[in-house]
Amino acid sequence: MVETSLQLLATALALGSAYALTALGFVLIINAVGAVNFAHGDLVMAGGFAAVALAILLPEGVPLPGFVVLPGVLLVMAIAGLALAGVAYVPLRRAPPVSVFISTIAVGLILQHAIALGAGPQPRVGPALVGGGMVELLGAALSYQQLATIAVAGVLCAAVHILLHRTRFGRRLRAAAQDPEMARACGIDLRITVGATFALAGALAGGAGLLLSHQYFVTPTDGATFMLKAYIAVVVGGWGRIWGAALAALFIAVFEVLVAAAVSYLVAEALLYLGVLALLMLRPQGLFGEAEGRRA
Amino acid sequence: MTQRLELDGVTVTHAEGVAVDQASFSCASGEVVAVMGANGAGKSSLIRALAGAEPLSSGAIRVDGQDVTGMRLEQRVRAGIGWCPEGRRLFAGLTVAETLDVAATGGAAERAAAFERIFTLFPVLKERRDATAWTLSGGQQQMLAIARAVISEPRVVLLDEPSIGLAPVVLDDVFATIRRLAESGAAVVLAEQAVPRALAIADRAIVLRRGVIVLDVPAERIDAGVVASAMLDAGSERA
Repeated sequence: MVETSLQLLATALALGSAYALTALGFVLIINAVGAVNFAHGDLVMAGGFAAVALAILLPEGVPLPGFVVLPGVLLVMAIAGLALAGVAYVPLRRAPPVSVFISTIAVGLILQHAIALGAGPQPRVGPALVGGGMVELLGAALSYQQLATIAVAGVLCAAVHILLHRTRFGRRLRAAAQDPEMARACGIDLRITVGATFALAGALAGGAGLLLSHQYFVTPTDGATFMLKAYIAVVVGGWGRIWGAALAALFIAVFEVLVAAAVSYLVAEALLYLGVLALLMLRPQGLFGEAEGRRA
Repeated sequence: MTQRLELDGVTVTHAEGVAVDQASFSCASGEVVAVMGANGAGKSSLIRALAGAEPLSSGAIRVDGQDVTGMRLEQRVRAGIGWCPEGRRLFAGLTVAETLDVAATGGAAERAAAFERIFTLFPVLKERRDATAWTLSGGQQQMLAIARAVISEPRVVLLDEPSIGLAPVVLDDVFATIRRLAESGAAVVLAEQAVPRALAIADRAIVLRRGVIVLDVPAERIDAGVVASAMLDAGSERA
């Protein structure tokens, strides 16, 4: 019993840490520009394919392939995030928020079909972070892969926290998110903060895609699922609350894994969406309250 | 006296019409110019236009002789303009120290010196340096908003209704601080509805009515009654 619950917990935390990275990037863009980036799920999917593609370039038998390609995936996806800002946000920044919804949906679809065209519609397996071994803990066999996934996501989350709270650039990002006009009056160039936020969101999505691509495979149509999970995490965590969203993403994964283990994955998904509907009716400010700011 | 800030026919037009019409005045180093007027007279539009938050439809703005009219908001800080907006608009989630750090310019040594200067001017901010902005009292928030505007040592300081929502005892502090900013060499433009208080620290008084300057006189030559009638009446005087 203890070993089963431990194994389930490790599975849930590994999945949840990837969801947390996804939600983190998603909510950073909401805060920075007040717009919902509906291409975010497709960025996660593209990150998975970037990991697959970079892993193919590695020579046979390289140890820790997932770790080796991680910096490359983060970089490629940071550039993708920047490109997304240039194509889907900057030209429409003075238009109503709904135009950015539509432009990001369009970019997401283009990304999805371009990747399907290039790589084919079948599922691909991303590189493993570590070899296939197991570690014994209280009688439970926990896979190195899951533990490494949790560790990588934890380090990336910590890096974001340090960036936002311990660096001058991060403080400027937060100021620009809270009041763009006053941030400009303090000499902050919004083109830089907005570009950096999109790049950061892209990199985090890439990290999430890499972490998910080994255990759960990746197909070009996966974006919508990731997108929904991120959206739900932000609603549950309180619109605009960065760490609320990351925590909620963990809860979502724990919920999914436990219900899927007890009943089935379909029931888990159905209950999750029902739960969100109930939450929106009963506690629309989210479980952890809403940060001050605009609701897009 | 050398003029730090010069306005030449500044005109601001909104969708609803002309907000500021051909405003021309200047403000020297060490001088406080009080801009007064009823609600909607154009005080805030004038201040926002000087800060760079609103474009001019015509006219020119100069700081120490340099034309800043075409500069964007974030460039005007470097040109020497500090703006404390109506309603304070603090970064609610940032602490006092974080807010000042965001607004400070220059390298680490320069910023440390700027912090020291600010904490001497506003001792209360030093006590509360790790408090989040939204947890400060109204007076402390106003002090932080002013500190944010002046930490980069601007040559021109724009203050938009700093007295709103503050208790009288706190106001004494705020207005004394504003006067000290001018003493230290800045040109201060103060938009205010609290007329007697503004006149008490101002060198010049300007009254706006429907976007037009209807009165521009040395502050000691008038009292609150004259200002009030200029804010409302058709009679105008320029000195």
